[in-house]
Amino acid sequence: MSKLYPIVWKETKDMFRDLRTLSIIAVLPLLIMPLMGLSSIYLQRFQYGVAVVVDNDRASATIGNATFTSSDIANALARRLSLNGFTVYREESVKDFDVEVVIPRGFINNLTSLTSQALIKVVKRVGSSKAEVAISLVNAVASDLVRKVANAKVMLLASLANISVKTESVIYPVVLSIGLVGPYGGATTPEEDIRARISRLISFSLIFVTTPSIAFITDSIIGEKERKTFEALLSTPVPRYSVVLGKVLSSSLVGLVAGLSDATGLLLFFAIPSVIYGVNLLGYLTPSIVATHASAVYISVLASLAMIMPIIIRTGSYRASQAASLSIIGVSSIVFFISLYVDLPNLLPLVKYILYVIPYTHAVIMIRNAVMGLAVNSIIHGLIALAESSGLLLLSVKLFNDERIIYSKT
Amino acid sequence: MDGDAVVLSDVWKRFRNVVALRGISFRVRRSEIFGLVGPNGAGKTTTLRIISTLVKHDNGFVEVLGHRLPEGKSEVRRRISYLPEDAGLYHRLTGWENLLYFAMIYTEDVQEARKVAEFGATLTGLCRRDLGRRASEYSKGMARRVAIARTLMVKPDLVILDEPTSGLDVFSAYAIRGIIKNFVKKEGMTAIISSHNMLEVQSLCDRVALVNRGKIVAIGTPKELITRMKASDLEEAFIRMVGDSYE
Repeated sequence: MSKLYPIVWKETKDMFRDLRTLSIIAVLPLLIMPLMGLSSIYLQRFQYGVAVVVDNDRASATIGNATFTSSDIANALARRLSLNGFTVYREESVKDFDVEVVIPRGFINNLTSLTSQALIKVVKRVGSSKAEVAISLVNAVASDLVRKVANAKVMLLASLANISVKTESVIYPVVLSIGLVGPYGGATTPEEDIRARISRLISFSLIFVTTPSIAFITDSIIGEKERKTFEALLSTPVPRYSVVLGKVLSSSLVGLVAGLSDATGLLLFFAIPSVIYGVNLLGYLTPSIVATHASAVYISVLASLAMIMPIIIRTGSYRASQAASLSIIGVSSIVFFISLYVDLPNLLPLVKYILYVIPYTHAVIMIRNAVMGLAVNSIIHGLIALAESSGLLLLSVKLFNDERIIYSKT
Repeated sequence: MDGDAVVLSDVWKRFRNVVALRGISFRVRRSEIFGLVGPNGAGKTTTLRIISTLVKHDNGFVEVLGHRLPEGKSEVRRRISYLPEDAGLYHRLTGWENLLYFAMIYTEDVQEARKVAEFGATLTGLCRRDLGRRASEYSKGMARRVAIARTLMVKPDLVILDEPTSGLDVFSAYAIRGIIKNFVKKEGMTAIISSHNMLEVQSLCDRVALVNRGKIVAIGTPKELITRMKASDLEEAFIRMVGDSYE
């Protein structure tokens, strides 16, 4: 019987019987992450916001056939703010506001003039998140107004000059035409572009997979030493590579469960708000992307275990392992976070090759390549991550020292 | 040397500033129950760990079952079984699974492992129901029975027991001593038992080495040592032998 089997048998039994810990690790992210997503939307909606909209102009004017009234504009602003949960006051005397919008005297005059610009005064309270929301709503109303006024002015000038004018060609003389091209240069669809963006999100979701597996492997070795079962095990004929590999494989299984749960929870965190706003992100996840994601989770878990293992083996200490695990989690966070914004393979060579030493980088590139349809490249990067992890596990076996482990302080 | 299961000659071991062993020498004959007796910190556990291949000695000669250490540690590990002091069980595994786990490590297939574990189960003296319970529910005595059975069930050529009855009540300690004495003698195994319970060693061991401050101060049968020191029992013999040097 391979001596690996008994170790994996015992470790998986031991870990999967710790149902309380396992359920906390596996189930909580699935509940908490979507809840966070939902609450971030609804709590924002339920958050009390006060806006003051004041019309100090009380004027109206026409451009060509179009009439613009300051009270209409103020009403439009108030209605938009009110529809988005703001309590709107129309008197300037209210001072406890998140945002104050004032249409000053002379606004309509300037608005309809061909030589002046009209000004809407906005005052926001420092540090108010609702003020940011209010300003974006005011901007939306202002943009609508700009388009209408510009159209009226262009039409007036055109009639005066007796020329034919298309409003858009005056207001937007330059328009960007954005086409999409796939990784091999062929045309592609907007859905593919969305998928590419989702790949960044999926890569980022790996940020949570490292922690549970590290906790399990630390307990698996140092906990066993503390419970005084390790010494008896080490005096048996079981080879040290079986001990290292057996514990890593079983911890990786538990880590995979926990990692998938964390990653799924994070996707739900983003997907639920998207569904509410009408963009179903989960609909873009094809079976191959899901499979790649699961593989990347496992590779990341394995990489985390491979990185922490030499440190546990060498120190045999909870404190040293905790300090090291924080560093590893830090490294993984950096890689997964920058993957949200940066194309890792397109970095400067020096930076790129430094990042390539870290197995997580290959997990990120693996997902990205799979999403972009570059299956071979995806597999290559997955294999590189596995090779790096194997190297670290080999180092752990080399560093394994019975005496050091037995006598080290936990 | 052919007749000896264990040979230690002028063995030294230092841990940083502490010299744990200062030239320990003794031989353990085959099929003998050999006792290492001494106070806490005397060097008993370090000696047993060296024989169990877990710790490398700094100087001297160590041979176990015909294999010189540390070179022959892989061969030695296949033929010995070691129970460390206060060795625990895996709390989330049942008593039966604790036995099966170690049986699988020593055997080549699951069927063979089951047979070995079945034998271990009879050694424990525990009923099926108790063996099916998780080890976390065991009393200290029950856990120790399983640990002893786990060590003996593979019928090693050399069994090494570090303080096998430490911390147990009278009944549990008596039961454990019964398992050791009957089974080890019956199977003709060689055993090294460390203890600071002199009476236990006196009743279990064929020969005894008295250890103090990293040195062997005397070796012989319990009777020889008692006679030599004109003492009434081994405890008194040890006190007289060590005298004021014990700290």
